Amino acid sequence: MAETKLVTITIDGKAYQVPAGSNLVDAAKWHADNDIPVFCYHPKMAPVGMCRMCVVELGMVEKDRATGEVIMENGQPKVRWMPKLQTACTQVATDGMVVRTDTDKVKAGRESVIEFLLTSHPLDCPICDKGGECPLQNLTMAHGNGVSRMNFADKLKLDKHVPLGDLIYLDEERCIQCARCIRFQDEIVGDDVLAFHERGRRLQIITKSDPGFDTYFSGNTTDICPVGALTTADFRFGARPWELTDVPSICPHDAAGTNISLSTRLDRDFGGRAMIKRVMPRQNEAVNEIWISDRTRFVHHFTRSDDRLQSPMVRRGERLSPTVWNEAIPALAEVLKAANGDVAVLAGGGASNEDLWELRQLLKGLGSERLGAWTTHSGAELLLEVGVGKGSNLGTLGKGDAILVVASDLEEEVPMWYLRVKQAQDRGAFLAVANHRPTRLAEIASQTERKVASQTERKPLVGKSVLYEAGKAAHWLNDLANSDPELYNTLKDAQNLVIIAGAEGLDWDGGRALMQAAANLLIAGGHVGKPNNGLMATLPEANGMGLQYLGYTTQNALDIIKNPPSVLITAQCDPLGDDPTAGSWMSKVNTLITLTLFPDDTTQRAAFALPVQSFAERDGTFINGERRVQRFYTAQGPMGDALPLWEIIARLRERLGQGRAKVSAAAVMLELSNHLPSFNGIRYKDLAQVERQYPDVGGKDLYYGGTAYQNKGGLGVQLPTTADNGSAPTTGTVNLPEVKQAKKGELLLIPTVRLYNRSHIMRPSALIANRVAKPFAALNNADAKKLGIKHGDRVEVRFNGGQATVTAQVSDSTPQGVVFVPRYLADTPTPMVITSASVVKVSDAVAVQ
Amino acid sequence: MAIIGNKKYQERINEHLAKYPDKRSAVMPLLYIAQEEYGWVNDEGIAEVAQLCDMDATQVKSIAGFYTMYSEKPKGKYWLQVCTDLACALRGADELHHELLHELGIEEGGTTEDGMFTAEHVMCLAGCDRAPMLQCNFHFVEAVGGLTMAHLRELIAAARQDDKTLQKLIAKWRDEVNKQVQQS
Ligand code: SF4
Ligand code: FES
Ligand code: FES
Repeated sequence: MAETKLVTITIDGKAYQVPAGSNLVDAAKWHADNDIPVFCYHPKMAPVGMCRMCVVELGMVEKDRATGEVIMENGQPKVRWMPKLQTACTQVATDGMVVRTDTDKVKAGRESVIEFLLTSHPLDCPICDKGGECPLQNLTMAHGNGVSRMNFADKLKLDKHVPLGDLIYLDEERCIQCARCIRFQDEIVGDDVLAFHERGRRLQIITKSDPGFDTYFSGNTTDICPVGALTTADFRFGARPWELTDVPSICPHDAAGTNISLSTRLDRDFGGRAMIKRVMPRQNEAVNEIWISDRTRFVHHFTRSDDRLQSPMVRRGERLSPTVWNEAIPALAEVLKAANGDVAVLAGGGASNEDLWELRQLLKGLGSERLGAWTTHSGAELLLEVGVGKGSNLGTLGKGDAILVVASDLEEEVPMWYLRVKQAQDRGAFLAVANHRPTRLAEIASQTERKVASQTERKPLVGKSVLYEAGKAAHWLNDLANSDPELYNTLKDAQNLVIIAGAEGLDWDGGRALMQAAANLLIAGGHVGKPNNGLMATLPEANGMGLQYLGYTTQNALDIIKNPPSVLITAQCDPLGDDPTAGSWMSKVNTLITLTLFPDDTTQRAAFALPVQSFAERDGTFINGERRVQRFYTAQGPMGDALPLWEIIARLRERLGQGRAKVSAAAVMLELSNHLPSFNGIRYKDLAQVERQYPDVGGKDLYYGGTAYQNKGGLGVQLPTTADNGSAPTTGTVNLPEVKQAKKGELLLIPTVRLYNRSHIMRPSALIANRVAKPFAALNNADAKKLGIKHGDRVEVRFNGGQATVTAQVSDSTPQGVVFVPRYLADTPTPMVITSASVVKVSDAVAVQ
Repeated sequence: MAIIGNKKYQERINEHLAKYPDKRSAVMPLLYIAQEEYGWVNDEGIAEVAQLCDMDATQVKSIAGFYTMYSEKPKGKYWLQVCTDLACALRGADELHHELLHELGIEEGGTTEDGMFTAEHVMCLAGCDRAPMLQCNFHFVEAVGGLTMAHLRELIAAARQDDKTLQKLIAKWRDEVNKQVQQS
């Protein structure tokens, strides 16, 4: 909002300077601290003027036509008042605007609107989930008449338990028909799967999508619904809002680093311990604004699943048997000492910076530097040089800017980025999407205009969707200047350019090549070292970036695979479950120590399995894909004997004589940031800094933006790239790897990512079970024909190290010669990287139930 | 049957789709075609229209729900709509409406057991000069001196015989009305 012209408006007798064209409701709140009550208006959506709650008296200072001088009357500027009350939400601030919000006329207007809304309201606040944080309840207390003039017998009776899908329930009686939910789906998400049905008093929300309310963002409608009409199946009747303690946290699932608030309560269902009752968005305009994906909201049950590993286990012969820390730690120390420095760590993106630091120090003390990153993505080192500049905010990209998303199915990998990229295109940014198969985002990129129901005009869109040959992402991008100079120049010459790289169809060499090609394009166009320019990657889990910062690399992982150490520590990763070929090199490891949330495939082979706490039970920090270090706080009671990963290692180090164990995660961060210059010496308290954010959602008024939370836990600190720090990056050679070829008669198996799958973390969330796709493999029509496979047939996909039985999905959208196999859907491990595979029919479609 | 790929509607569907720069503008005429085929706007019809107009089924359903001339419940073969708005009310439309329901043995909006008739009252049909006004399958039914229950009984009997007899009867009444108009 910085550069816009300021105008003077008067609200209740006081003059304010506000940006010209700002919405009157927003301006009154931000500048005058005047909360104009609203129901339908929402600061993130276009106004529709449907509910009339925001009425004010509105006038304009009169000016002499000839001279342009303000006409004075009794020493005051003369105001020409509009004869009737006006809706503030449909007004934009103009110079000389005069507003009254405190007159009897306004009060009467507000009172009538409330009375009207309550004519048929069920008034079931005592059993309503929204009770206690309900805009209608609050505004009724503030503006409502104490008594009703309505005849109770005339009350309309409607359905109170309509499942819109598996996740969201509608209470038709409570709905006040503000259309916020419809507009959210239409304007923000672009899935117009909600609509009104019928009219007048019988107007109701419906969905006809299959599955019902089909979107990855449905939960947000329950936050912005100004009444208790929309509730989540997860929290419904679960607790009263005033019993809840809100603990700031970070979504553990992906690189977006979505800010969340865990609403907890001491709960009978969890042995009287603090338990997460729901997950809510926490405002961070630079990261997730006030939105969260349904995965973030609904996948938290794993944190207290009985399936979790709950006590340290040690192998005695064939079996792992439970032990206690006081025995496990000395035994571990002996093993490590005996290894004589022949140790290595493989860590996954779920481990926090503190965990990774302690592990790194442990290894250092043992004389090893073998820190491997267990991830599908490589080339993350480039993010430290040419990552998006400090101060970047996808929410501010628009006209003149460009975004390229390559080798990623962004909606499935990082839904929050998908949402923000889509919105950047809505604001006019050029969106290019390149992949070897069609994706939802590609469809969006190729749309030339979008029609939003609540707005009359169509928004023209700019973008392009490109299909390249399977697995050839790096080749495509590296050659773009020749193959498609127009697109190349559009990207290069954009005012700002952000590239989001995935790793679909790429092995570590291919991934690194793609990242380098992306970096080269960014450098060529000068898109480095400044806000809203640079590289991002869909690194899996919440702390893929932290792995890189703490020195865990795929190069080291490759070295570990090639020369397995005598003792291997796996930290929140499951190589044996992820990669069917891992068994071959893993068998050369003498002692396998695994630090894990769940007993998994790697646990089965481990000599020690050590239970770690989840993000919900402890303090820590993650670094998101935009290099923002963000802090999460202890919210939930611990499970069994599980400890924070860093603490296990700290105790072990103490036992090994590596100094006193630190007492808190904050202390670990202190040491870490003192040692690693890239951390700029940040402290926990720096990460906890907050400031007022625009729009001011989540304050004590609940009606303005919904129940999203004000950020009290910190906005985090974005680490600068080397380019931000002034060192000009230079383009590097792209080492194009040979593209994998399928063996004769086989297909090229490319693993893909699905938002909802059957990983250990997902499985305990029964709510989403129906949304998880049945295990499938996607094939091209021609290939299927050759193999005698029909759509829906049961097939066996065979690859090096294993096989999976799945359903064949035959279509033209899968390129020829390729079979796509989503990870974590089948019962058995499927490949993590591109590989050759044969597909064999097992039984007919009809045989499948 | 379906409307997509149905020869009977092919031409009309294409015509409607060609009429507008944007497919979704054709949603209303196509909903009528669906209603014609299925007798009401059912979920199959919604899905087909959504496919034809490249819209989400939810939006099509919303439109069908807003306009009263789309029926979202199964209807009888003959859909009788009695106007009970002001002009017609003054000429006894309320009585006519109730008697009709009584005659057919159904509730407001209901359908006879044999699936022949659905009757309901509606707002102004823009035929106030011939009040009380009745529509049968969206076509005016009028008679000299205004419709009475006697007319309606005749109409029901004709319809029960066969459609031809019914159409003949309606045409005959219309001719009589027109003749009278010309004379005056
Ligand atoms: S369900 Fe809630 S958000 Fe949607 S229209 Fe009704 S009151 Fe508004
Ligand atoms: S009309 Fe302004 S908030 Fe609803
Ligand atoms: S009032 Fe009945 S047709 Fe107009």
